Amino acid sequence: MLFSLRELVQWLGFATFELFLHLGAFLVFSVLVALRADMLTPGISWWLVFVPLFAADGLSTYFTAIVSIRLYQEGEKRLSVLRLLWVLTVLSLKLVCEVLLCQKLAEQEQARDLWYGLIVSPLFILLQLLMIRACRVN
Amino acid sequence: MSLAQRVLLTWIFTLIFLIMLVLRLDEKIHWNWFLIFLPVWAFDTILLLMLVVKMAGRCKPGYDPRNGAQNMKKRVWYLVAMSLKLAFCLTLCAKLEYFSDLWVSFVCIPLWALLIGAMVDLGYSVFSFRRD
Repeated sequence: MLFSLRELVQWLGFATFELFLHLGAFLVFSVLVALRADMLTPGISWWLVFVPLFAADGLSTYFTAIVSIRLYQEGEKRLSVLRLLWVLTVLSLKLVCEVLLCQKLAEQEQARDLWYGLIVSPLFILLQLLMIRACRVN
Repeated sequence: MSLAQRVLLTWIFTLIFLIMLVLRLDEKIHWNWFLIFLPVWAFDTILLLMLVVKMAGRCKPGYDPRNGAQNMKKRVWYLVAMSLKLAFCLTLCAKLEYFSDLWVSFVCIPLWALLIGAMVDLGYSVFSFRRD
């Protein structure tokens, strides 16, 4: 809409397949959230609800590792290291945010000191990084 | 608009929305949820205006109709996607502000339709590229 797929891939640094994977994981996650919130499945814990997002992060890391190894073998050493570093940074920031949110939801009483500003802080860092990367890609 | 300008536009609205959302969730402010979503409404209005202007460009004299049907299909899909996103945000705000008894599953229906559509669109790009 605002960005073409090619621009998104360049900007975010993820392959189209990885974007597809994360989108699918988010769809499953949203279904589980709705089921959990509506108490249709009261036995399901919040950690289980977040499993699709964790799985997508794991698969994305695996995919990136393979692509980086292949790039390294083909002599594109700088590109492979840069790609690996970027994707790992983005995925780890995303993972930290997910884990903190999950902890907040799962342990409402114990995690009272865990305020939402702290949970979202990895996303604020990610936003700054994405802005810097956009300037470089442009 | 260049990529950096478009990213800057997205970045500003996302940042303002996140700040307002965090303040509301931490109960530092007690504004109406429709007001918290103001950056989302503003961003969507800009996107819709851009889309409508592009679609209206077809009516100009001297428009080259080559690949027009393909582009038109894409823009209609974008319009549907925007409407689904707006419907999701509106029902979410309505649930949070007025109808706390409303089922989350009901609120999420437009989001699911949007995600499935986006996955089909993206999947087509992924798998048609692989066939080539």
